[in-house]
Amino acid sequence: MTDEANGEKKSPRIGVFICHCGSNIGGFVDVKAVTEYAATLPDVAYATDNLYTCAEDGLNNIKESIKEHNLDRVIVSSCTPRTHAPLFQRTCEAAGLNKYMFTFVNIREHCSWVHMKDRERATQKAKDLVRMGVARARFLEPQEETKIDVTQAALVVGGGVSGMTAALSLANMGFPVHLVEKDNELGGFVRNLHGLMNTKKSAGETIEPLIDKVNAQKNITQHLNSRVATVEGFIGNYDVTIGGDDAEPKEVKVGTIIVATGAVPLVPEGLFGYKEHPNVVTATEFEELCKKKDIPKLKNVAFIQCVGSRGQKVSYCSRICCNVAIKTAINIAENRDNMLGVTEEKPAEAGGQAVEEPAADMKAEEGTERRRRRRGRGRREGEDAVEEGAAPSSGVEITVFNRDVMAYGVEHELEFNKAREKRVKFIRYVPDNLPKVTMKDGNLEVGYFHETLKMERSMPVDMVILSTPLVSQPDASTLSQLLKVPLGQDGFFQEAHVKLRPVDFATDGVFVCGTCRGPADIAEAASQAAAAASRAAIPLANGFVQAEALTSRVDETKCTGCGTCVEVCPYGALRKNEEGISEVIAAACKGCGCCGATCPEGAITMTHYTDQQLLAEAKAALEEG
Amino acid sequence: MKKSVLVIGGGIAGIQAALDLADKGISVDVVEKLPSIGGRMAQLDKTFPTNDCSICILAPKMADCYAHPNINVMTYSEVKEISGSAGDFKVDVLKKARFVDEEKCTGCGDCFKVCPVSLPNEFDMDMRERPAIYMPFLQSVPRAATIDRAGVAPCSDKCPAGLSAQGYVALIRAEKFKEAVDLIRRTIPLPSVCGRICHHPCEDGCNRKDVDDPVAIAGLKAFVGDFVREQGKDTPAEIEEDRKEKVAVVGAGPAGLAAAYRLALKGFKVKIFEATSKPGGMLWWGIPDYRLPKDVLSAEVDYLLAHGIEIEYGKTVGKDLTLDDLRKDYDAVFLAIGAQRSLKLDVPGEDLKGVVHGVDFLHKVAAKEEVDIGKRVAVIGGGNAAMDAARTALRMGSDVTVIYRRTKNEMPAIAAEIKGAEDEGVKFEFLASPTKIEGKDGSITAIECIRMKLGEPDKSGRPRPVPVEGSEFTVEVDTVIPAVSQAPDLAALGSKDLAVTKWNTLEVNPDNLSTNVDGIFAGGDAVSGPASAVEAFAAGNKAARYIEKKLNGESIEPEPEEKDEHVITLEDIKARMKGEITKSERVMRQHLPDEKRRTTFDEVEKVFTKEEALKEAARCVSCGPCSQCEACAPACGPDAIDYNMKDQVVTLNPAAIIVATGFDVWDPSSASEYGYKKYPNVYTAMEYERMINAAGPTGGHIVRRSDGEHPKKLAFIQCVGSRNPQVGHPYCCAVCCMHATKEAMLAREHYDDINSTIFYKDMRACAKGFNEYVERAKSDYAVSYVNSDATVQENAQNRNPVVVFDVGGKQQSEEFDAVVLATTLVPRKETVDLAEKLGLKLTEFGFFESPDGILDFGRSEVPGVYLAGYCAGPADIPESVAQGSSAAAKAAEVLANSGGG
Repeated sequence: MTDEANGEKKSPRIGVFICHCGSNIGGFVDVKAVTEYAATLPDVAYATDNLYTCAEDGLNNIKESIKEHNLDRVIVSSCTPRTHAPLFQRTCEAAGLNKYMFTFVNIREHCSWVHMKDRERATQKAKDLVRMGVARARFLEPQEETKIDVTQAALVVGGGVSGMTAALSLANMGFPVHLVEKDNELGGFVRNLHGLMNTKKSAGETIEPLIDKVNAQKNITQHLNSRVATVEGFIGNYDVTIGGDDAEPKEVKVGTIIVATGAVPLVPEGLFGYKEHPNVVTATEFEELCKKKDIPKLKNVAFIQCVGSRGQKVSYCSRICCNVAIKTAINIAENRDNMLGVTEEKPAEAGGQAVEEPAADMKAEEGTERRRRRRGRGRREGEDAVEEGAAPSSGVEITVFNRDVMAYGVEHELEFNKAREKRVKFIRYVPDNLPKVTMKDGNLEVGYFHETLKMERSMPVDMVILSTPLVSQPDASTLSQLLKVPLGQDGFFQEAHVKLRPVDFATDGVFVCGTCRGPADIAEAASQAAAAASRAAIPLANGFVQAEALTSRVDETKCTGCGTCVEVCPYGALRKNEEGISEVIAAACKGCGCCGATCPEGAITMTHYTDQQLLAEAKAALEEG
Repeated sequence: MKKSVLVIGGGIAGIQAALDLADKGISVDVVEKLPSIGGRMAQLDKTFPTNDCSICILAPKMADCYAHPNINVMTYSEVKEISGSAGDFKVDVLKKARFVDEEKCTGCGDCFKVCPVSLPNEFDMDMRERPAIYMPFLQSVPRAATIDRAGVAPCSDKCPAGLSAQGYVALIRAEKFKEAVDLIRRTIPLPSVCGRICHHPCEDGCNRKDVDDPVAIAGLKAFVGDFVREQGKDTPAEIEEDRKEKVAVVGAGPAGLAAAYRLALKGFKVKIFEATSKPGGMLWWGIPDYRLPKDVLSAEVDYLLAHGIEIEYGKTVGKDLTLDDLRKDYDAVFLAIGAQRSLKLDVPGEDLKGVVHGVDFLHKVAAKEEVDIGKRVAVIGGGNAAMDAARTALRMGSDVTVIYRRTKNEMPAIAAEIKGAEDEGVKFEFLASPTKIEGKDGSITAIECIRMKLGEPDKSGRPRPVPVEGSEFTVEVDTVIPAVSQAPDLAALGSKDLAVTKWNTLEVNPDNLSTNVDGIFAGGDAVSGPASAVEAFAAGNKAARYIEKKLNGESIEPEPEEKDEHVITLEDIKARMKGEITKSERVMRQHLPDEKRRTTFDEVEKVFTKEEALKEAARCVSCGPCSQCEACAPACGPDAIDYNMKDQVVTLNPAAIIVATGFDVWDPSSASEYGYKKYPNVYTAMEYERMINAAGPTGGHIVRRSDGEHPKKLAFIQCVGSRNPQVGHPYCCAVCCMHATKEAMLAREHYDDINSTIFYKDMRACAKGFNEYVERAKSDYAVSYVNSDATVQENAQNRNPVVVFDVGGKQQSEEFDAVVLATTLVPRKETVDLAEKLGLKLTEFGFFESPDGILDFGRSEVPGVYLAGYCAGPADIPESVAQGSSAAAKAAEVLANSGGG
């Protein structure tokens, strides 16, 4: 303690601002009583309550009180530092107070919300929490943050649509970009596809212009057949080694990193007769067959949705598969690009088939349609098809077994309508009663329980297309460890905040976009990619970042150089200096405290979370309120 | 020149775009139509799939955006015009006057408490009311109030004295009676008097006249004047300061009294010289007791005099003292001598005994002098004086015929006066003009008239009466009372210096009422010729204003009188109310029975009781909607309110533009199968969202509109209006499945006895963590999902909505306590206009179009213009945020390549 060291022992002047948060706190805690209590605590020079401390008048109140009451420490007792600490810290700074002289007491999440039904004890707990905060605040010290220069270049990992889009955007802003792709060419997963949703263009035709732009952009250095081998450093200053399959490792320096490594389709081992029966393929495999124009003669096609997803192999919905199935079904129905090669041979069959096959389930569907139409909000496809007097032009009977058709938004829903107009049947199943793919008399057959008719039915099919979910890349965890960014439970990279920070990682300087973050269609992936580029460009544009002062500090006189801290640090923020003593790389340190907790000599202090501060807080917790 | 980016729309997408750009060191202007940024997200209670409090996570971003050194936030603003191209746009932004200084206002809300106006609170989906000075929500950014003033109410606009009629009606409605009287007195010194005798052009303007009948604005004024006085609360106003200058006012009529009162309030020493023995001028001598009881007039004049005004009766300038004396003894003189001299008919026989001119007749009656009128009386003229004379003569026992040369339609008298006369039994001879008064032995026997017909309109716009030759006829009468017109008696003034017009009125500069003689001002009937009391009040006020300037040594150059404020129309109000105005019958003032009226001078129309007044005031549709009562400024501690604030146009020069204007909620009342607005317990999802919010209209409680009970069985119906080509929304809104699931979970969190059922077509829980969220709703929150279309009926007994749906092809129905409709989210109305200004294309459903929606979503077809958020198509919050950042990247690319930044 500086004051004590100087022997002056100037007593702190603490201001406590207790927030009602509208009724979020005020409705369950007697805020006035807590305020009155706070005023009685030692070294509290001023205590007040605000309806919303975070609103402008609340902030002004803090600023004015700092001046009026000569406060040297500020406590806001309200919600969570995760969202609000920076705001209050800036407010303190605006009033000339070092932002580390601010501390937070959370009486909402930790108090009012969890003790909604016991006002009296919630109030008592709020008092306890405030008393603890005040105890800690007495030992707060001002800290200095350092400005760190930023290497004005970026690394984009993954050369698919997302990676290319992100790289191109950053390059267009004028920043050099290293684009790392593990394959020998750009394009990513889309290269496997024949057609895309919501466009008449083929997948190849769609992405070629993007690849051309990347090739033409001089700010982009492509590293094909390459992977990220090592990553050292921290925001603004990353040293990255790019390992080539058959090339010398290259070292590049970048300021920010975008992860755009994509995803892969689940291989549905053991599901729905996959690899067991002929002509049971995944949607991706069907795309490949289309590309090769290697589709067998088809009369009946069944799609099965949610193969392995939504609670089977994975818990999530893969978002894109319904729309892929709709696209493919329409393409089959329209015999796009003569992909089937069948209608030219037997055009006459076309009409006959649909007339022949208005099976009971079809009627039931139509019955529902009629009811819907009566209510003026129905689907129109039956009507239109009848008007056109047409079955699918290809003569192929197409059925999509689904749980819910995820045709969200405008275009997907319109495509869904179009598919139904083309007499593609959508039959719902429930997870307790999955369709069964079997062989009967040498023919492929799909058996299912008709939910409307409440009966088992079956249909012969020529081909079954399994819609399997996208799953994370097998090497995602490697990259996750290299970059020290998390994967979620679903195996995809986990963004910093699902609502408001969709392309940021919690780790500064690293960003995420595309399907490595979770299933997304091309438009969404590209949109996220541009977003990630925008986010990654911020430190590059400024040329510097402000490093937090919330780091560990080594007392060189106590350190014995045992190296424990170097080993436990998850961020590589500690190293031994020439004298064998540990030192902290401030910009890399996240202030997690692992080193401080493990140091056998007690040589490491956590700035802003010193033992003295924490012990004071703990002692206060045990005092009688 | 430093290049900037314009972001249109201050919702989450716009905020994110602005922050991303600003953090790169780029200047950003954010234009938001509403008084606060925050957009739709601010209205949400929680957000899926984490159930984070929406405003809690949004508010810091709003604050960041507003406080960012590189961001200039313009709220309550609209883009007016756009020209130029990428790298160099020119954009005119209309910054609407909010009448509150954004810097000074602390958002304390003291002004909200004094505002008498109640309006639907749009932020709370009209489920509660807000004042006309307001903040949309507690966490509004900027934290500054806004006065919702779309224009001036027609009642206020039509008042010749410029009184804010809507203002005092609003104050009466809010039972702020003293405040109402104070407001009236700022313009009309005699509220009770004016309320009784004014010809109330305010009521002619009232927008309610086209719905049913105008609000009884004048009657309310009479009520509030009386009520406050009778309650003894009519305490004198404070004198601003003590001034030594002396002002002489000649004439204690309405103009003189108004000027004297105004000047007295300013602290001047005011003395009124009144020729007669009573105050009020024509109010005393010309208006009979049955319209204006003398005690009311006396009381109100006494109130004025209590402000230190001296009055001397029986002093005629020109006779008892000269104008020169006044000029010598006083620093300024205001001549308000009225127009007391009756004009003659100019027909033979006018000097016969039995001819008594209207003004003289009324004066004598008022003075309780003997007036000899016969059994049969003819009153000539169609103005108020004629009606007063006729009804007075009637009360004196005569049989009265009014002779008027045009028809009833052209009569200048107040309609109520004409009706009063008719009801009481006065006869009318229209289209007749006297040609001769016949007499015998010096007394009248008859009056000869000639029939008239209506010709071309004259200068006044009324048809000119033209005599029909040879149509003379006679009416036998004993007394003739000509009441055709009056003129000032300037000769009596005895001044040679004052300039006089050819109409024998005093000549003044109409803009400051100064005469040609320095220090002498004139106004009222003496200048205008006979006119209304309210016009005389206005003249007195104006004279006082310029006399004060004169005495302050300031220039009396007339100030430009701006009256360019938009006058609110019925259409404006309907647009604001989103529908028709409910009819409501005008409260009629109690009348004395016709029979009784003929024999007494008791007041005919009873003043409203308090109950009647409140009922009548409640009919006001709050045109302004701010009533301009000016109650808020005195309540404002930091002095932030400025009624003179003007709209401003700011020209910006952005290199790129980001459009992020968000969405609207479709009103499902046109889809009758859901019963919205028909069945009280049917809600829209947005209404429910506000209801479940702790800061919302019900404080976070879910309550039934019908009985305030909290529902235990909730139904959510999905795709209301969406996925439905019949209503023009074939698309899926992409957020409602998750939204409904969240709402059902929250219901359970608030009350553990609520069970929810969601009726859906497809449960589109298809983004990160969404499927898991729905599974959690089923397992942990007892939410049931039924895969069916659904419509709503009602059990009329308990007002429970009944959901009709089908499962397995069988129609079923189930009763619920309340139903929540997931209504379609649609592009905002203004999108069309903005698209036109920007040259952008809209999709068939009205969203802004991205030509390459596959690889370059958010890039419009206009270079330099980018799109983000729901205005470009359905998107949830994280998608909107990503699109905001994405648009920022695109804009930053433009800046990097346009040599600025």
